[in-house]
Amino acid sequence: MSDLRTRADSPTAAVLRLAQPPVRRFAPGVFFGLVSALSSVGLLATSAWLITRAAEQPPILFLGAAIVGVRAFALLRAASRYVERLSSHDAAFRQLSALRIGIYRRLVPLAPDGLRGDAGGPGRGDLLTRLVSDVDELQNLPLRVVQPLVVTVLTAVLSVIGVSIVLPSAGVTLAVALVLAFVAAAVVQSAIAGRAERSIAPLRGVLSDRLLDYVSNLDVLVAYDAVPERMTRVEAADTGVRVATLARAGGAGATSAILSALATLASVAALLVGIPALGHGLQGPALTVIALVPLAIFEVVASAPLAVGAFRQVRSSAARVADATPAELPAELPEPGSGVDRRPTSSMVEMLGLGARWPGETAPAFDGLDLRVNRGDRIVIEGASGSGKTTLAHVLVRFLDYSGSYRIGGVEARELSADAVRGIVGLCEQSPYLFDEDIRQNLLFAHDTVTDDELLAVLARVGLAEWTRERGGLSARVGDDGALVSGGQAQRLALARALLADFPVIVFDEPTANVDPVRASELMRDILSVASDPHGEDSRTVIVISHTPVPDELVTQRVRLGAPALP
Amino acid sequence: MRPLDPRLLRYAAAARTFIGMGVVLGIVRTASTLAFCVLLSQAIVGAIGGRSLGELAPGILALAGVGIVRAGAIWAMDVASARGAATVKSQLRRRLVAGITRLGPGWLGTRNRVDVVTTAGPALDALDGYFSLFLPQIVLTAIATPLVIVTIFLQDVLSGILVVVALPLIPVFMILIGLATQAVQRRQWSVLAQLSSRFLDVVGGLATLKIFGRQHRQTARIATLTEDYRVETMKVLRLSFLSGFALELIGSLSVALVAVSVGLRLVDGSLALSVGLFVLLLAPEAFLPLRQVGANYHAAADGVAAAEDVFDILDAAMAVTAEAPATRGGTGSLVERELRFSEVSVRYEGRAAVDRFSAVIRPGRLTVLAGPSGSGKSSLLAALLGFVPSDGTIEIGDAVLVADRRSLTAWAGQGAPLLEGTISSNVSLGDAAPDLALVRRALDLAALAEVDPGIAVTVTGSGLSGGQGERVVAARAMYRALARHCPVVAFDEPSAALDRRAEAELLRGLRQLADAGYTVLVVSHRPAVIAAADDLIELGVVHV
Repeated sequence: MSDLRTRADSPTAAVLRLAQPPVRRFAPGVFFGLVSALSSVGLLATSAWLITRAAEQPPILFLGAAIVGVRAFALLRAASRYVERLSSHDAAFRQLSALRIGIYRRLVPLAPDGLRGDAGGPGRGDLLTRLVSDVDELQNLPLRVVQPLVVTVLTAVLSVIGVSIVLPSAGVTLAVALVLAFVAAAVVQSAIAGRAERSIAPLRGVLSDRLLDYVSNLDVLVAYDAVPERMTRVEAADTGVRVATLARAGGAGATSAILSALATLASVAALLVGIPALGHGLQGPALTVIALVPLAIFEVVASAPLAVGAFRQVRSSAARVADATPAELPAELPEPGSGVDRRPTSSMVEMLGLGARWPGETAPAFDGLDLRVNRGDRIVIEGASGSGKTTLAHVLVRFLDYSGSYRIGGVEARELSADAVRGIVGLCEQSPYLFDEDIRQNLLFAHDTVTDDELLAVLARVGLAEWTRERGGLSARVGDDGALVSGGQAQRLALARALLADFPVIVFDEPTANVDPVRASELMRDILSVASDPHGEDSRTVIVISHTPVPDELVTQRVRLGAPALP
Repeated sequence: MRPLDPRLLRYAAAARTFIGMGVVLGIVRTASTLAFCVLLSQAIVGAIGGRSLGELAPGILALAGVGIVRAGAIWAMDVASARGAATVKSQLRRRLVAGITRLGPGWLGTRNRVDVVTTAGPALDALDGYFSLFLPQIVLTAIATPLVIVTIFLQDVLSGILVVVALPLIPVFMILIGLATQAVQRRQWSVLAQLSSRFLDVVGGLATLKIFGRQHRQTARIATLTEDYRVETMKVLRLSFLSGFALELIGSLSVALVAVSVGLRLVDGSLALSVGLFVLLLAPEAFLPLRQVGANYHAAADGVAAAEDVFDILDAAMAVTAEAPATRGGTGSLVERELRFSEVSVRYEGRAAVDRFSAVIRPGRLTVLAGPSGSGKSSLLAALLGFVPSDGTIEIGDAVLVADRRSLTAWAGQGAPLLEGTISSNVSLGDAAPDLALVRRALDLAALAEVDPGIAVTVTGSGLSGGQGERVVAARAMYRALARHCPVVAFDEPSAALDRRAEAELLRGLRQLADAGYTVLVVSHRPAVIAAADDLIELGVVHV
């Protein structure tokens, strides 16, 4: 049982609570589920009574109620099951909205640097994909876990009460059988599934690693005559999984077999206590009812082990969600809601002894940076990979907290709200995110009151006029995650957004990282000249963080971001 | 979906064994169900007829025994399903890996590799549902349903007729409702797919939204799009749940009709109670397997759809003719050979990546193939190794066959990940008896003098930088060239992630190879590499 428990105050439980609809929405599904389950018990009970009573050849009038009951239960069972499924799905979907918003609220202060993945695990994109599918999986908590368990337990209790009224000792034997069934569902099922997961999951991991290794390198393996050797490794991993699965196969179906045996034994027990009672207060039709009813009840109870299995899955999804979105922010992130919402009077940026650390790291990514940036400056910050370039970019837009001093217009950034800082300092990310929408929507959210003509003018400024025309204008979609857009075009779209948002300071994080070398220098030149717009009346400050060389004539100042140990 | 794909039986022999077991266990299970119903109804009828518990004890004991046997049959069936699924998956997976190998890197290049791995791993696991929920029920339907119906007919013809009339309604309704659901789903598919990916889009773009101060507005948007998602999904569900409704209704109504008709005939004495009870207990059993088939149809269909991908790959692999084996391997000593491309074209889906390229790459020289991305440089190397189909001829000396060219070439691909093992095993890849001194020499040539060949490479990495990994790949080609005396050594962008000093060192290694008489071909657009070339071939972008 310990395997199933989730402490009420644990982060996983907090996530699970988000997924469970409130009682008033959840209740109709449970009600109709209960009606359906009781109808199927009632159908068998009334049929059994009807047939046995009919054999006593009473006037047909006495059977009228039972005949109506049999037909009514048959209809009610199917109809209420249909209504149950609809209302429980509807409730789960309604809850999905609250669930997603709840998770989103946890994500907002964390994104992008506070999200936790497994060390060496999937990249950020995969992490988010898994997070979102885990959130959707949580819908199964009300649908496949709570609802069936509540309905099953209520049906069992009500049936035991019903049978007890007919013959108390039969009620007791039925209750014992049902308790054993629930114990089997919870303990046996959970122990078997847990053992299988523990023994097989790591082997599956090995197999999938080796498969990926083999498939990704097939060209190399063919070219180096190494196919047989590596195929042997894949087959060995496959054998490992197969052998472990075969060894655990005995656990499969153990619970359903136990439930089936218990159903029979409950009927047998009812006969054993019922037959001696026959004629002493128990009539023939009632004996048939108590002997047959366990069969119908156990058919309902069969959903309990499935619910337990579903709970294991839901719980591990909830645990991953809780893990990825810690309720307590890492110390390296700015405290949400701190600072005042005030726009600094100037866009001068000063850094003094600035340093920052990535969440979960012990050493600072960079440290001791001194830099003063005046309006209209074009600064290039260079550094090898690992010298903390992206960290710096994220500090400048307050995704990360810092040590030392970072002032905007003379005000310490920490005293301003993060939104106020981002009103001044904008960032074009290394891989700009493009929403799965059209070009217009991908620009409008930066400044939602501009006209199409203004959007086209900005696109022309960043060198995307031709590209937009080729795609058929502003209503053209940029595709899933901007898949149909090259790295350079994505950077230009990001620049267009930054221009629309009219940030006085724009930071570029490795704008040429995903661009082929031939086009990189052209892109760099365009970015620097368009962004700073030296001929315009209000010249903008541009900070480019890059490891590729930038031509001197475009730059007013160069700074080298070194390893923290260097002076 | 076909309930039982003949390809499953063809490609996975274990599936046949499983179905054989299923038939035997299905018979045991049906027999014990029949015995259970007989014994239970007789015990009740006997008790009502006034017999004592002592007289009825043997029957009741047998009833318990039969119940245990039935539970045992259920368990055995589930165990057989789990074992069958594991064995079949293993057989299919091995065939799949062999099939992928036969189809080769060229075929893989047109696929998403992660998808292919998913097909061989998690997607095959979806067959578990097919094996545990669907196939046993299909077998049981084939065995139990006719047996039960015949038994009912033998006992009570009228009830038999009722069951036989109602039973075919199940597949009829399933199919009709299934078709209607499909139509609605098809109509709504794009709407649903879009709505379900929107939340991911908001979450994925959260950092961007924060930059523009738009993160606070999104909760309303999430609420709206989730509400739309609910409304659209419920439209589909209202229809698709009808199939479950039909299954339940037909099942329970037929039991009700049997009960009422039996009851009425009991009143006028035309039927015995033992028969009536027996038929009542048996009637649901006639419907149960088919109801299970219907209820698990979708889970099974998912599994079969996954298997479908596997079968498609296997069918494609069967259609490929194995390439001619190599007629010559590396020679005992290096023989200088030139590499000739004559009128070589490579096409991907009709688009020419390389158009009638001709060149002679000479031994003892460092030849650089330059050109912007998209000009077909890597395609030429792929054609040399036979990874993509090409027109024209590619020869190394007088060797024309793909397998021969391959055995005469040492190739270092671009951005190739390292294999699990050690640096040393990566460098000496394909050599059954690695020569450690030669590994050292290849690493030195590839400007990796400082690297310890014993470092382990795991899935999560090796602790090597990108540039070092790149040089290990180059060292691998050098090792092969030196160990097997492959006359042609080809490098694809070997210095893309190197700084200038490392690049210069690597170029010295390439120069040594050329001086030793190897035909060295380097694909690169780096100025330092181009400057070091003895011969330079520039490819332009191919215009269609």
